[in-house]
Order: sequence, then structure tokens, then C-alpha cells
Amino acid sequence: MRYFDARIIENRALGNGYFVLRLGGCDSLSGSRPGQFIMLRGDWGRDPLLPRPMSLLSVASEGRADVLAKGVGRGTQLLENAQPGARVSVLGPLGNGFPGPEPETFDLLAAGGVGLPPLFMQAESATKVGLVDRCEMIYGGRTSRDLVLLGEMRALGLGIHLATEDGSVGRRGRVTASLEARIEQHRVSERHLKLRIMACGPKEMLWAVARIAEASGIECYLSLEAHMACGIGVCLGCAVPARSWPFRYTCSDGPVFLATDLVIPAASGVQGGAT
Amino acid sequence: MSSPSSFDSGAGLRLAIRCGGIEFTNPVLTASGTFGYGKEFEGLMSLPSLGGLVTKGISPKPRFGNPAPRICETAAGMLNSIGLENVGVEGFAAAKLPFLRRCGTKVLVNFFGTTFDEYVACGEQLGKLDDIDGLEMNVSCPNIKAGGIEFGRDASVLGDLVRACRSVISKPLWVKLTPNTSDIVALARACAEGGADAVSVINTITGMSIDAHTRKPRLATIFGGLSGPAIKPIALRMVYQIHRAGLGIPICGIGGIQTGTDAIEFFLAGASTVQVGTQNFIDPASAERIVREIGEHCRHHAVSDVRELVGALSPDA
Repeated sequence: MRYFDARIIENRALGNGYFVLRLGGCDSLSGSRPGQFIMLRGDWGRDPLLPRPMSLLSVASEGRADVLAKGVGRGTQLLENAQPGARVSVLGPLGNGFPGPEPETFDLLAAGGVGLPPLFMQAESATKVGLVDRCEMIYGGRTSRDLVLLGEMRALGLGIHLATEDGSVGRRGRVTASLEARIEQHRVSERHLKLRIMACGPKEMLWAVARIAEASGIECYLSLEAHMACGIGVCLGCAVPARSWPFRYTCSDGPVFLATDLVIPAASGVQGGAT
Repeated sequence: MSSPSSFDSGAGLRLAIRCGGIEFTNPVLTASGTFGYGKEFEGLMSLPSLGGLVTKGISPKPRFGNPAPRICETAAGMLNSIGLENVGVEGFAAAKLPFLRRCGTKVLVNFFGTTFDEYVACGEQLGKLDDIDGLEMNVSCPNIKAGGIEFGRDASVLGDLVRACRSVISKPLWVKLTPNTSDIVALARACAEGGADAVSVINTITGMSIDAHTRKPRLATIFGGLSGPAIKPIALRMVYQIHRAGLGIPICGIGGIQTGTDAIEFFLAGASTVQVGTQNFIDPASAERIVREIGEHCRHHAVSDVRELVGALSPDA
């Protein structure tokens, strides 16, 4: 983990507020694992004050690193409008990451909206070790405009199952419904492989995924998002209720947790579904 | 943790300073709650480059802290409601102190209790640990027996608390004052009369933030402590008020310090040392940079000894 200055090489708009920042000067991030993140801050003075935690989307040679974000708050909107050449500060790589792909497992990668990056990187990593046929992406959003980088994922040779709430592309409904369907399918067709679920997305989606995994007896890893100031276990802002201890920390104990290590809220009538 | 009692940073510039019974190689410390137990920053900065560090607040027993969300960003600042989570005295001595013994800078241990007796017992236990240079008492905790009002908000209660802790602590004892008061000078006076060696000014300012879309508070506990550059003018004002009162107690200035120039402003207002807090979250190496920038300022303004700056405010605007 290092703290360093980087430059924006490219800022690629993907529509609907989504964008990919390509950063140069990130040699310290080589060897980052899927699920790890960085604290990223533009050179924009005192406000907004804090750096933003961003999951890595991809790390390439020559010190290049990509992050995917959506401009929703002031910090991400400033980054959305950042120009190539702009200086940013980076602290990373941070956190633990997902377990690597294995020949005897099949990983269901469940991504909701802007939760795509760590799972994209996981699929990319599977491709690099020749195990892309040991995972598939189940990717959901509100509309087709919330599903990005589909061409890049297909180029990895990755199987993709899309879901949108409005049915504009893929299966109509939430990503959790698609996940349940894929679990059933794999139980029939891939019985010799151990199923795992790896998920990232809105909290309500993750809790729903965890409940599905528990009911199905499937090992499940959740990559959490949280407000955090430091990224290194100091501010203690990113506490998440855990089973063996009152709290774990998203930044230093996660962001990837075994779902069985966390206190998963019970489904409520309104929030039982997910994106 | 031995460090030279005086420090020549080059070209005849002296940054070493004595504050609150402790000799520092330079006047920049890191603030409690923003620097963990020191080890978290190993590899990100040079710990010996600091004048000192102040640990996370320690209570007699471990505490697990408040529910989430615990932090939120505000205009040029942040609110926190961590809930004083910490490993407790025994956990600190066993797991954190061994590293601090060899970290190469002065170490102050911040401590607190939830009752009068807990404060005294905690201070006494920590004061007996070897290789700690001093203690900083956090008096911003709610006094349950007095209806939840902060111990440090009532000058009479604060004076009694400082006196009681002083009687069992032989190491340097600093008191971190709450700014949630109408009379900061009265609080500083109570500390001076109670025998404190220095006051740290200021702790966070109570505030809140609301999400207009969800109609909910942004912190689980509704209220939290505001920190960051947004509070610097208030901190400067309080440091200056205490200095101007001529109480004779040294002041460690805290509140929104991001640069060497910010630190210099606190020296001019009357602080002998400063603590860098929220800025550690933004740039983990910032305290080291601030030491350099103080040196640059001194050289630029032909100041040969940082002590010349303390209280050197020219009162005419």
C-alpha cells in the first residue's frame, strides 16, 4: 500500500453518468487483487474534503489502472468532469479482495449497478489464468442504460446474464431473481463443480444475495461499500455489524466478507428484493 | 523513544519546543482518533519526523462504538460519531504499546472514562506504563450522573476532575478541551488551577447533518463531532482567547490544520504545538509535510526559532 500522485490519462463517458477513469503512474497498484480498492481524490482544494473509495476495475501494465464510477455526489461529479492530465492522489491498493478462481469451483458473479468493477476484475483475472469458463456474470440495473462495459465483458469470453427492472434488456426483474434461476440451472448442469457466489452492489441487494446463499448452502462473498474517511482502519467510520465481534471494518477487514461472518438483516416486505 | 532535546533542522533553524512538560523535536503532533495507534501509518510516512503522536482515546475496558453510519462529509469538514471505540487499557498495554515504544517519536496517550472514578483509575493505570511521554485527557464524554452533560463543559466539575487525576498521575497531563462552551477561558483556567500541564484546543464541535431526500439524519446517533478546515476559525479564536487570558498554561492548537501556514497561524494565536487531525485521513503523510512547510515559512520570514512565533500575533488587523 502506498500513497502517491497519479494522472488521469483518459476519462471515458459511458452514458447515464457512468465513466471510466484511466490513471497513469499507478505502478504501486500492480499485483492488486480483484475486490481491492483505492482512496482517490482530485486536486480540488478543501471541498469536498475526503477522498473517495473506488473499487479497481482493471490494472494493466505500465502503471495503468482503471476505475468505474457514476457521478452522483459532488466528489464523483468532479471526477466525472475531470480532464486528462489532471492530477489525483491515490492511496492503495487497500482491502482484501475476492478469493481467486479455481478449477473445481464455479463462481456466480452477481453485480448490481455500479457494483460491477470488482467482479469485472475477477472475471478478467479468471480469463488470465484460463478459467473464464469457471464463472459467469449476472448483472442487473434499473434500465439498459445502467448496464455498461458489456462489450468488454464479452471480449473476455465471459458468460453474461443481464437483468433490468424495466425489462429494457435481459430478464425483467432484479438481479437476485436471475441469480436464483442460475443457481437452479447450475445445480442441474454443473453438479461436479462447487458453486460460489461473489456479489457487489447496493446493500439491499447484497443482503438479499446473502439470504439466497444461506438458504441454498452456497459459499458467498460480499464486497461492501461504506462511507469511510481513511481506508486504512483508522477513522473507524466504515463499521459493519459482524457475528463474531460487534463490528468489522469495511476498509481493513473487507471490503470482501464471507456472508456468514456478517449480521444479515432479515428481509422486510418492501426491501426484500434488490436491484 | 529517546529524542534529542533540541533539534536543528538546518541553516540554524530551531524547531524544537517544550510544551506541557515534554520536549518535542518539532511542534507537530497527530491528533487522537485520526492516527490510530501509530502503526497504521508505518510505511506511509516517517513517524520519527513527527514531534509526537496522540493515540486513540483509551478507556478502562474495551468499547465497541456506535452503530453505522458513523461518519459523513460536510462542507470542508466531516462529522463523526465513532463512539470512542478502543481496545481498553489492558489491550493497549499488551497489543499497542510495544510498537509505540520503538516508533521514534513522543507518545501521548489519550484517555477517558464514563464516570469520575473511571477517569481517575484509567489515568492512574496508564500513567504507570513505561515509555509513555504524557497523557491527554478527553473530557468531552457525557457524565451520566449529571444528565449526560460533558464532563468538560462545567468548569467546576472539570477542575475537580483534573485535580483528582493530577494527584495520581506523575507524567505530563494535558487536557483536551471541548469547544461546546460559552466560556473556553473558564475551562482552561480550571485546568490550569487543577494542575494540568497543557490544554489541547479544540476537540470536535457538536453538529448534525440531514439528508433532505430521505428526511433522515446522516449519522445513526443524529449528532456528531465536526472536524476539518471548517472549524479552524473557531479553534484559532479559542486558542487566542486562552493565550490572551495569560493563564500561563501552554496550548496545543487543534482544528482544521492542513498546511504549515495553518500551523503558523495557531502559533501566532498562542499555541506552542499543534495537532494534525482530519487531514491525516486525506493525506496520510501530511503531518510530515507540515513540519517541512513550517521550516520553509520560518526561513522565508527569517525566523530562526519557532518559539519566536508563539503568541506573536500583531493585534492590529
